[in-house]
Amino acid sequence: MSPNARRVVVVPCSGIGKTYGSVSREAAYVITEELRPETTALVALSQLVLGDPAARAVVAGAPTITIDGCQLACASKMVRESGGAVAREFAVLEVYRRHRALKPRGIAELNEGGLRLAEALADEAAAVADALTADGQG
Amino acid sequence: MPHFLEITIDKFIFRVAADRLYTPEGLWALADGEQVRVGLSDFAQQRGGDVAFAEVRPAGTRLAAGEELATLETIKVNTVFASPLAGTVVEVNPAMIGAPENINQDPYGAGWLAVLSSADWLADQRRLLDAQAYVKVIQGLAAAEAS
Repeated sequence: MSPNARRVVVVPCSGIGKTYGSVSREAAYVITEELRPETTALVALSQLVLGDPAARAVVAGAPTITIDGCQLACASKMVRESGGAVAREFAVLEVYRRHRALKPRGIAELNEGGLRLAEALADEAAAVADALTADGQG
Repeated sequence: MPHFLEITIDKFIFRVAADRLYTPEGLWALADGEQVRVGLSDFAQQRGGDVAFAEVRPAGTRLAAGEELATLETIKVNTVFASPLAGTVVEVNPAMIGAPENINQDPYGAGWLAVLSSADWLADQRRLLDAQAYVKVIQGLAAAEAS
């Protein structure tokens, strides 16, 4: 069994060169590496786009949290295309609307607002991951 | 349901509603008697990107043509849009407070910004562009950005 099989999967936007895409990826790193490293696993959207069998198996076998950088919602769409179930969709823009002081800027290097916005988003996503784990879905 | 002109530039398709007038900056104005509904063109909303916040001058505000009507904060940029006409704001789209994404999803419909009571619509509309002329503005902007 894959070590990710019981974990909540996190799939962020892969928009390169976009501030909100960078926030989504930063948030995914915060969740999977700092906040909930034991109960979550990161899957790169590009692996799903390429049809990587291992990545498809991971998202098909576990509840998934997606973090999209824009309304195209590529992460959410690709998880579904890959046979996965999206347990919760986050959009960076919607989180920003709740935290207007945290204006994200920058791409390769996010500003302080962007980093704090990513942390705020990660906190919300971690709570969702906890609920999914507690429900025995993870 | 208005008739739309469509322009394809690279991979993007922009629609221009044929039943209204435009400012070169991308606001549309649709008159119904003395009341004029105002919103953002499809080109302007696509160019600006997803709207995070939309702040429209409140009802009761008297504006000259060219005065600030709305400020939109998108994922790319903050933009101030000038009123296409002189008049008084009589209604602001309540969706702008909680659901400004309507601007992106339905720029010619549910995403309208405000309704103004016109002070002199006959004079104001002479300064605005019809749909065909606005299409040329879009093509010019696209060409300038490509060069």
